[in-house]
Amino acid sequence: MNDTIVEARNLIKHYKDLNALDNVNLSLSANRIYGLLGRNGAGKTTLMSILTAQAFATSGEALVFGASAYENDAVLSRICFIRESQKYPDDFQPRHAFRSAALFYKNWDQDFADRLAEDFQLPVKRRIKKLSRGQLSAVGVIIGLASRAELTFFDEPYLGLDAVARQLFYDRLVEDYAEHPRTIILSSHLIDEVANLLEHVVVIDRGRIIMDADAEDIRGSAVTVSGSADKVDAFLAGRKILHRETLGSLASVTVDEALSSRERNEALELGLELSPVSLQQLVVRKTMAGFGTTSTTGDFADDTLEARR
Amino acid sequence: MSRTMAVARMQLINKWTYLGWPLTILAASFLMSLAIFALIPVNEGKYGGGSQAPMWYFMVLGIQSMTLVFPFSQGLSISRRAFYLGTLGLFSLIALGMTGIYLLGGVIEGATNGWGVNGYFFKIPWVTDGPWYSTAAFFFIVMMFMFIIGFWFATIFKRWGSNGTLVSTLGTAVILIGLAALTTLLEWWGHVGNWMGQQTPLSISGWAALLCVALAAGSYTTLRRATP
Amino acid sequence: MLMIDDSKPIFLQIAELIENGIVDGSMAEESQVPSTNEFAAFHRINPATAAKGVNLLVDSGILYKRRGIGMFVAKGARAQLVARRTEEFFEQYVKPLALEARKLGISAEQLNTMIERSSGLDPEPGTDKERSAAL
Repeated sequence: MNDTIVEARNLIKHYKDLNALDNVNLSLSANRIYGLLGRNGAGKTTLMSILTAQAFATSGEALVFGASAYENDAVLSRICFIRESQKYPDDFQPRHAFRSAALFYKNWDQDFADRLAEDFQLPVKRRIKKLSRGQLSAVGVIIGLASRAELTFFDEPYLGLDAVARQLFYDRLVEDYAEHPRTIILSSHLIDEVANLLEHVVVIDRGRIIMDADAEDIRGSAVTVSGSADKVDAFLAGRKILHRETLGSLASVTVDEALSSRERNEALELGLELSPVSLQQLVVRKTMAGFGTTSTTGDFADDTLEARR
Repeated sequence: MSRTMAVARMQLINKWTYLGWPLTILAASFLMSLAIFALIPVNEGKYGGGSQAPMWYFMVLGIQSMTLVFPFSQGLSISRRAFYLGTLGLFSLIALGMTGIYLLGGVIEGATNGWGVNGYFFKIPWVTDGPWYSTAAFFFIVMMFMFIIGFWFATIFKRWGSNGTLVSTLGTAVILIGLAALTTLLEWWGHVGNWMGQQTPLSISGWAALLCVALAAGSYTTLRRATP
Repeated sequence: MLMIDDSKPIFLQIAELIENGIVDGSMAEESQVPSTNEFAAFHRINPATAAKGVNLLVDSGILYKRRGIGMFVAKGARAQLVARRTEEFFEQYVKPLALEARKLGISAEQLNTMIERSSGLDPEPGTDKERSAAL
């Protein structure tokens, strides 16, 4: 079950004045749903492009199914990577794109593609050039799902899709994955929406991997303690603090550690409030910790201050 | 090999791109030329350049293969080699078919005395004067040349952006001007003129074929490192 | 309606949801429980995570597998859960209740009176139905 199918070793990608990938080491196993999370421009698309041999690394090694994907039909035929800015031939309609995909993916399921097109209300006979941004995303999503490739990448597949369509995508993904297990890599910065779908999380920030852990291990691995500032600080003395916010004499501090049940009781006795930290909050905190104090909130929705019970 | 074939089949999914448009353009241009021939009240043979219209479309096709079909092929995990061979292979067949149409058109044109109005669409002085295989080679190579030059330019653009395209265009111009200047300097224009005079449509096709092969090889080398 | 939150691993929450169903009787002993894929699709979670939650209950003898048919609630599962939950109830509810009561200066008698008063209260209408529908 847990064979390694993707292996990146010391991957470096330099652009003129930018380190898009800065020594990335990564290993992914078969038949899991991975989340590749990070801000816009963190290196998500670059990493996926290099793994699929659509782009080239400056140095390092990228192995997929044990070999480089570059000009390697045996490897390539098992991969599907429709990028967020995917281009299509000028005269193509969605149904042409689907028929093309059917030529190259042996597991292609045309019925499934037809159902999805109906679900997404995609006009399959309109020229792709004339589709809306959301409809364009739907074309990519449908190819990604219906190709049932052993290794499928979804590169921010939700752009332009409304909440209903996004939910539809997540639902179909889980259903189809349950029936046809395969390796899915879902790149996203809408972390709250996908968090529960992921089995493993890889967070990339400015070309570096800053988190690589099972989603279940991350859940509950951090906690926010709030209450009067002096009590909070005394209680958390010596712990790994990710973030601190104050409001008058009150403080809300997030620590990158789980509390034992004894410690939780202790906190409650002190009159402190404990609240869980969502994956999204944790990623935001870790990303910002990397930036130092000058950072801005960036693309992540920041709902840390929201009172949670 | 089967993936190369699939690349060719993929580009025939929408029949307009490789079949519908070239034939429509040819037919439209033919009918227009015929209308004009009929309107000109002269009795000697009338020749038009209308038959070259599809050629320009082939150049656009070459450009789009690289700028749009290539990125799509990458999304479907098609190797660069399979994309290149499949695309060029398909176009060769299309060019062959079109050449057939041009030859046939020329035969009918001759038999009907210029469609009854003494107008010549497929027949071009000098070019089609030789034997049929010389005419065929000429048309075929010109079509291939247009497609490959479009493809080649787009590869340069894909790989090196607009700067690369500018440099290669300027570079080509500089080399041509340099050669012309050199010829003037050495007073070789007479020789060049003689050489030109000795060329036949068949030998011109030969030279163009060499250029095609060079450009096609160049495109492939560039494509090997191109990103979508 | 969805009760998955971020406080702890999802597989634990799935296990708890099934346990809740068994304790409140909406999942009878010897009845079949939904498949892991059904749990995953319903809660929009990773199927592997759902399976982990179900397997946790299989390991502790609450559920058992019938080959080729599916997962069933074991005999005696409810009693086992109630015993464990009673202990947890003390830790999770009685202790903080007592703590808060002490903070507010509420005596043990007053607390007893309050508990008696609340026993006449109906649970929120519809709650049980929703819960079993969610499973």
